Amino acid sequence: MAIRGGRPAARAGRPPATAYRLSWRILDALEAVAARWPARAEGAVKWLLLAPALAVVGLLVFGLVVMADASLRVMDFRTYQLGEDYSTANYVRLFGWGAFHATLWRSLVATLLVTLFCLLLAFPYAYALTRTASARLRRVLLVGLFLPFFVGQVVRAYGWLVILGQQGLVNQALGLVGLGPYRLLFSYPTVLFGLVQYMLPFAVLMLAPALAAIPEEIERAAASCGASRGRTLLRVVLPMARPGLIAAALVVATLTLTDFAMPAILGGGTNDFLANLVHDQFFRTSNAGLGSAIALVLTLLGTTVAGLLLAAAGVGALGLRGAR
Amino acid sequence: MSEPSFSTSRRRLLGGATALGAGLAMPAILRAQEPAKPAELIVRAWGGVWVDSLKKGVSDPFTAKTGIAIRHDLTEDNEIKPRIWAAVAQGRTPPIHVNWDTTANATSSALRGVCEDLSDLPNLAKVLPLAKPIGLTGVPIVNLYSYVYVLANRPEAFPGGPPTSWNVLLEPRFKGRIALYNDGIGFHPVAQVVGGGKVSDIPGNMEACWAFIRKLKEQKPLLGEDPDFTNWFQKGEIDVACTISSNAREAKAKGVNVAWTVPKEGAKVDTDGMWIPKGLPANELYWAKRYIDFALSTEAQQVWLDGLGLPGVAPGLKPPADLVGDPSYPTSEKDYERLILIAPKIQAEHTAEWFARFKEIMQS
Repeated sequence: MAIRGGRPAARAGRPPATAYRLSWRILDALEAVAARWPARAEGAVKWLLLAPALAVVGLLVFGLVVMADASLRVMDFRTYQLGEDYSTANYVRLFGWGAFHATLWRSLVATLLVTLFCLLLAFPYAYALTRTASARLRRVLLVGLFLPFFVGQVVRAYGWLVILGQQGLVNQALGLVGLGPYRLLFSYPTVLFGLVQYMLPFAVLMLAPALAAIPEEIERAAASCGASRGRTLLRVVLPMARPGLIAAALVVATLTLTDFAMPAILGGGTNDFLANLVHDQFFRTSNAGLGSAIALVLTLLGTTVAGLLLAAAGVGALGLRGAR
Repeated sequence: MSEPSFSTSRRRLLGGATALGAGLAMPAILRAQEPAKPAELIVRAWGGVWVDSLKKGVSDPFTAKTGIAIRHDLTEDNEIKPRIWAAVAQGRTPPIHVNWDTTANATSSALRGVCEDLSDLPNLAKVLPLAKPIGLTGVPIVNLYSYVYVLANRPEAFPGGPPTSWNVLLEPRFKGRIALYNDGIGFHPVAQVVGGGKVSDIPGNMEACWAFIRKLKEQKPLLGEDPDFTNWFQKGEIDVACTISSNAREAKAKGVNVAWTVPKEGAKVDTDGMWIPKGLPANELYWAKRYIDFALSTEAQQVWLDGLGLPGVAPGLKPPADLVGDPSYPTSEKDYERLILIAPKIQAEHTAEWFARFKEIMQS
């Protein structure tokens, strides 16, 4: 008897040649190698698996050490070389510099507002995405979610220049009813608007799995116990969606705090964030010392924001196994 | 009669043939002495009209003469600088062969010691003294032309005639409709004068400059870079700006109604140049120098700078027809009297300090 489309069957007692695939043989070989791994060194396996990630983190830490070194040395503008002596002069200058205060405050307020708006807007979107019974609506929502990822941040920012400019679509539409033109670009609210639009898909993406993990039966159970939809949302869904909310807040907050393109393009040059200030020092004034100092402050700030969020919610809020 | 004549002719013919042979052989000998040609040279440039003009006037003719292709790298001048500095510090080959740069920015690289010396360029002896930088050791940068930071404006916004003073920037009707460079470049000396100070007080005492810029901040100016100005004029976002005349001229060429003027207080004049980073292989350094030398020639400058509308350092250049008599195209000492020149070394040594003050005012 012949296998259809294949070779004749092997003689009884021996598996056909095609039954044992090459990939299985490779896995067997790997297992054989693993079996030779000394039992005493079993604890090293997890570190071996972690090694690539640790290497990446190590590189980042190395970069931070290099920047810390540069931040403690002052640029000599007669030779454009960093001085040899260590001092805190860059930090003293930084904390006494009005532009830094303004930029720091602007970045922090934006982080807070953009995170808040994104969570408010992302929640209903993610809820509809995970709860809708209509496959068509789900497809539309998924396209709406992923499409922005195919358009880079800079392109999207330029898109807003076209839409919100003096001769842009919005002002043209307003002109039809005898209004405007208005200056809609190059202000702080425009930067916030651009950031919310950019960050929203990230927030939805972080929230959707958390909402999908909440069984619908629980909501129905709450309803059957007499809870209104609002009460179910507040007392059941939101607390259970906490890991997703915290993860979304973490991603949006850290990305907003360190954003460069939106303030640069939509801010008109007078609404910079800290990342713009870092860029200016490295690339405009060639002051690697001051630039490193600002970059380290920004890193510290980002870490603090993430730490505060996790401290407020608890690491367990991220849904990590065994975490509290 | 005919014999001597023939004889003379033969001698002439033989002499001519020898000369011709020598003439034909000479370039081959010279070529043999020339280092190997690289397949291409990378020249950093600004985009838009800047790179288009460079390509037409310098790069394409250079390729035609030498067979070496020119690749233009449009990385911003400020952004290529740290990459070059890092390459030189680490002993790597730099990312570009020739850096077309503002003289002030280039001076910081010269002060750091990453520029090759260009004092052996043959054409350097034939051009205006402006080509050699002041206050630096040797010739680490070659200046190629000058340009003026003019008061560009939309004529519709000035029905009574073009503005005559930088003070128009403070008029309430232009609130939110004025633009400056985002590091204040090109505006500091003018602000010093309009603010009641003296140019000679720069850099020691610039309080007049900062006081004027503080007033200007209330006007909510837009801050941008070269392409932004053209774009903003095109899109009707601004009425008046302090920008390089070339940007205004480009906007005009694109059909935007833009004019420009040098107000009574004067305007800042600056130069751009080219330099070669250290660390190139010897043959590439040789051909990079040949490129800059060619950029100094009258032949190249006439075409290149016609496109930019800027006065070059080569002698005998003819101004483009639309710029004859234009104060943004200075050709005589009298023209330069209206303009304010700050030594690039002073600019390089104080850029960070001026930038910090400008940012402090504009970001607060």
